[in-house]
Amino acid sequence: MILEEPIKEVITIKNYIDGEWVASEGELMDVVNPATQEVIAKVPISTKEEVEAAIDAARRAFPIWRSTPPLSRVRCLFRMKEIMEDRFEELSRIQTMEHGKTIDESRGETRRGIENVEVATGIPSLMMGYNLEDVASGVDEYLIRQPLGVFGIVGPFNFPFMVPLWFAPYAVATGNCVVIKPSSEDPISQMKIAEIAEEAGIPPGVWNVVNGGRAVVSGMLDHPDVAGICFVGSTPVGRDIYRRCGETGKRVIAQCGAKNFILVMPDADLDRTIAACMTSFFGNAGQRCLAGANLVPVGEGLSEREYEAFHGKVVRAMAESAARIAVGYGLDDSVQMGPLRDKGKKERVAGYIGKGVEEGAKLVLDGRDVRLIGDWPHDAFLNPTVFEGVSPDMAIGREEIFGPVACIMRARSFDEAMEMIHGNPFGNSASIFTSSGKWAREFQYGVRCGNVGINVGLPAPMAFFPFSGMKDSFFGTLHAQGSEAIRFFTESKVVIQRWF
Amino acid sequence: MKTASAVISFAANLEGDMAKLYEDLARRYPEGREIFLSFSKGNGQNRALLERAYYEAITDAIEACFSFEEGLDPGAYALDAKPTGAMGFADALRFAIEAEGRAKGFYEEAARLSRGLMADIPRAFEIIARKRGDRIAKLKALAEGLGPA
Repeated sequence: MILEEPIKEVITIKNYIDGEWVASEGELMDVVNPATQEVIAKVPISTKEEVEAAIDAARRAFPIWRSTPPLSRVRCLFRMKEIMEDRFEELSRIQTMEHGKTIDESRGETRRGIENVEVATGIPSLMMGYNLEDVASGVDEYLIRQPLGVFGIVGPFNFPFMVPLWFAPYAVATGNCVVIKPSSEDPISQMKIAEIAEEAGIPPGVWNVVNGGRAVVSGMLDHPDVAGICFVGSTPVGRDIYRRCGETGKRVIAQCGAKNFILVMPDADLDRTIAACMTSFFGNAGQRCLAGANLVPVGEGLSEREYEAFHGKVVRAMAESAARIAVGYGLDDSVQMGPLRDKGKKERVAGYIGKGVEEGAKLVLDGRDVRLIGDWPHDAFLNPTVFEGVSPDMAIGREEIFGPVACIMRARSFDEAMEMIHGNPFGNSASIFTSSGKWAREFQYGVRCGNVGINVGLPAPMAFFPFSGMKDSFFGTLHAQGSEAIRFFTESKVVIQRWF
Repeated sequence: MKTASAVISFAANLEGDMAKLYEDLARRYPEGREIFLSFSKGNGQNRALLERAYYEAITDAIEACFSFEEGLDPGAYALDAKPTGAMGFADALRFAIEAEGRAKGFYEEAARLSRGLMADIPRAFEIIARKRGDRIAKLKALAEGLGPA
């Protein structure tokens, strides 16, 4: 059944600055539904002056907002949550239309976004400092957490609704003001969230949205009134943002690229493992930083012959399950995988598939042979691809493909598999599938990755835990979500007092 | 049906169809009016339970798109027939027992296949399957009270 589309006509997106919807002077670009190739919105590429106006509005709103009682601030978030729940289905379907993900995936994203709003409503308790009497005779000492001012949030295309909510609710609840730059590829969700913020009573200037590209990001990075930047996107850009924030003394959370390994031990429940791998490798059409990329059946304790049989079983199960995945328009609720975000991204992924063949990997399932549920233009679609015989030094085994491509590798021992993981520059996530507590514990203890899955293919932290990351997958100190986000958006002030 | 969305939509429609069926039976058979109306109300509660479980537990991290990989055949469980006008009360009860049996089978299978999802979802399916079992027992008791057909 194809669900009703909530966007009926082309939306012209405006910026939301100082509580007003303002048309940009920048050029307008098309936002295209990747499944149907229909234009669904026009998004402005805003100017540096426009982002500066938003930062100025946020700076002016800050003194009153920070002195608004935390309880009053979070009441706005409670109202935001209520409105989001009321509009849950509309918000989810918009994500499918602007990004391409399936409706189940969009609803999952909406839920995770709302969960961050929910956690941030606990700020009156979570933001509390601590104190100790009599650090010296008649002297007391206490710590208070204070907001810093204006934060810039730069969102990625792959989670247009959720990712800015990893940051904005915590920033605003702790008394800061935000300027959000959504991805210009799918900016509608953030426009809707700004509408909700306005309806929920968040005062003008506290929550701003400026659409655009590099000029907007540079405007945030260069501005002396911006206290920090939150970024989710590619490693080269994240590294550059980190450097520039260091030069100007800004705080930074930069969550970046990934190449995630999944180890399958011989004692794993293979049926459950393969089902989890379908979500991990092919969910969101592989366009997420926690997606599985390299699958490694591990031959620990097996003879050569036993390992060949085990490896072959994993390859066959992956290929057969991946071949059955129903690909099509995400608003068709029988569909299990949607398109890539756009034609360019499809071409990039197809280029990697070609490169994998050139490098000598065996193409077990070729997703370039597009087969869809429904009659949709093929422009942005790929079916799942499975390679075997991939080595860690091949481009497809080393670099982030960001598409529905599974690379199956070989490791005769647990230690060899761990070396493969540690030889890769990224450290976003890694998973192990096993029935052995010993291997699970060794893996958890030793793996140098931020997010670890044990019999979970997609270890996405809940809103009350930090979304971690290591090595080239993360630049900064504190992470998104939960208590680390609260630390990030507040300064610790320590007071020592005595009375004469 | 392979996705959670498709299965939940099917279940919601099934509950809606059965609610209408029991309203119809309640109008036509005064002797079963009370029980049929209570079942119809229960169908609305089942739908709410399922939708709440799904919308509150849905997450991108768990296998929503792939958990029903073995597939559920809607044709095997849909309420496609209606009781005819000439049907006596005993036949109407038999019809309802058969429909409840099919619905019970659907929920049991959905619970089995969705065990990889957040626990709320298979639990909701199990609760409704159990309720279906209770209904079948009540309908059978009513039918037995009528004596041989």
